[in-house]
Amino acid sequence: MTQQFFIYAAINIFVALVSAPFFMGVIKKVKALCQGRHGPQLLQPYYNLIKLFSKEVVVSKDSSWITRITPYINMSIMVLAVLFIPLIFVPVNNTVFGNIILLIYLFAIAKFFMALAGLDAGSAFGGMGSSREMSFSSIIEPVTIIVFLALAFVFKTTNLFDITRETAMHNIFSINPLLVLLAVSLFIILITESSRIPVDNPETHLELTMIHEAMLLEQSGKNLALMEWSSALKQTILMAILINIFFPVGLIPINLITQSSPMLLLVSAFLFLVKGIALSVVIALFESYLAKLRLFLLPTLFAIPFFLAFLTIVIEVFI
Amino acid sequence: MIGTFFSINTITIFSVLILLTAAMITISKNLMSMIFIYSMQSLLIVIIAVMLYISEKNPILFTIAVLTFLSKVIIIPFITEKVQHKLRIKRDVTFHHLSPVGSIFLSILVFFIVYAAFSSLAGILADKTSLIIISLSVSLVFMGMIIMFTRKQMITNVIGYLTMENGVLLFSLFVAELPLIIEFLVLLDLIMLILLITLMAFGIDSGIEEYHARIDPFDPIRRRLDSRLGGRFDSRPDIRSERVDREEKAR
Repeated sequence: MTQQFFIYAAINIFVALVSAPFFMGVIKKVKALCQGRHGPQLLQPYYNLIKLFSKEVVVSKDSSWITRITPYINMSIMVLAVLFIPLIFVPVNNTVFGNIILLIYLFAIAKFFMALAGLDAGSAFGGMGSSREMSFSSIIEPVTIIVFLALAFVFKTTNLFDITRETAMHNIFSINPLLVLLAVSLFIILITESSRIPVDNPETHLELTMIHEAMLLEQSGKNLALMEWSSALKQTILMAILINIFFPVGLIPINLITQSSPMLLLVSAFLFLVKGIALSVVIALFESYLAKLRLFLLPTLFAIPFFLAFLTIVIEVFI
Repeated sequence: MIGTFFSINTITIFSVLILLTAAMITISKNLMSMIFIYSMQSLLIVIIAVMLYISEKNPILFTIAVLTFLSKVIIIPFITEKVQHKLRIKRDVTFHHLSPVGSIFLSILVFFIVYAAFSSLAGILADKTSLIIISLSVSLVFMGMIIMFTRKQMITNVIGYLTMENGVLLFSLFVAELPLIIEFLVLLDLIMLILLITLMAFGIDSGIEEYHARIDPFDPIRRRLDSRLGGRFDSRPDIRSERVDREEKAR
């Protein structure tokens, strides 16, 4: 825990918190343009958050402390998870943060509390959403673990900082071209975990097909704002993993104190924003291109990343 | 075996992508996209053949690339698409014996077993890349087989067969260099097969009455009643009107 790490933490959290709603806005805007609408402004997610933060919190009288505490737990876990993935520069190695398996478990805790909060108020929609979310995570989590394991096998480490440092200094094709396959897998995981269209529709409210939104129905005001912000943060973290491994242009893999200047950091942050916008546009186009899959067809979608990750592991380990 | 012009890794990634296309055919339900994926698969083989040609300068490889491009990327998908238009079937949604996820798992298992079987040959082979591409191509053959036995639709079976043939071609590119004449004959056979299937498809389409009879469990009863009542029992409107037309013409 050096001074450098605290600077890293402050910058990383700040960049993630500020950019996460913006990426959401970009995705919404591009989707609207694809559908021939004007769509909301790019900054609309910020306005929504401000509006929700100034509203009062209403909770059901039947709900317990879980409903009240879940938004804070979710937000703090996502802020903690942001520290695992370097957004604009890679600090010197540390053993506390960056473990890829711990990251999966952090997401699992957040998901667990969200499902509990969905059940807590006893509404039919919330229970349905929680049940679906849990059954999907029981399918997608093994896939996520296998994909991250394949990443760990390719880079010979489970630390995201080491992985990022490696990709920032070398061309990925010189490391291992099979990483391209893992990019596809990570993209599908990103789509699933941020509950986007082939899996879940983020724009539905009060529909029978909703999964993620159903669990948020009982939240209001400040709590709802925290929940939405934390899911945006989660999406940003997954996007950052994809970006850092496959487009590490602009990442600074050097010691901040000795070599880099604030100017360099600004350029790097700007590049991160550009890469994030590009990925958001890709996500939005992917979402507009596909229709929502039927619930029982989803395992087929998850079979593809599993297949790719398994092939990568076999080739990497045995050959 | 493989020159230095293209890195070995590049060829490996293309072969793995070929296996990915086979997996996509396994789970795909739309016949049009299946045909498209098949032509992409053949295109990947063409790319690999061209890469091998550039590094090895063997003219046979280039000929194979050109032949494959003409037949498998252009002619065969074109004919299959035509058949599909005529049949007016858009989707193949029924799976039997195995669910799509099950077939993916089975393909992983098959790849593993094939790899284990071939790894004992590792001493004879030129390098590690040959071993992995041999495993990939043989499991591509098996995946074509999986596609064939999990589906019922004719076009899907044809695509499964073509996938198997692609596996053989990939195998022959890397291991035994088949004489060009055999490659050429195989391609001709394939095109003839597709043409025959086209004929068969049109046959089924025109003889829809017999086809109907075969899948209808009540048909023998209906026919018996029909003969007893003198053709008045048949309630299928199109066939009945046809018959009425015929009878009127006879009068």
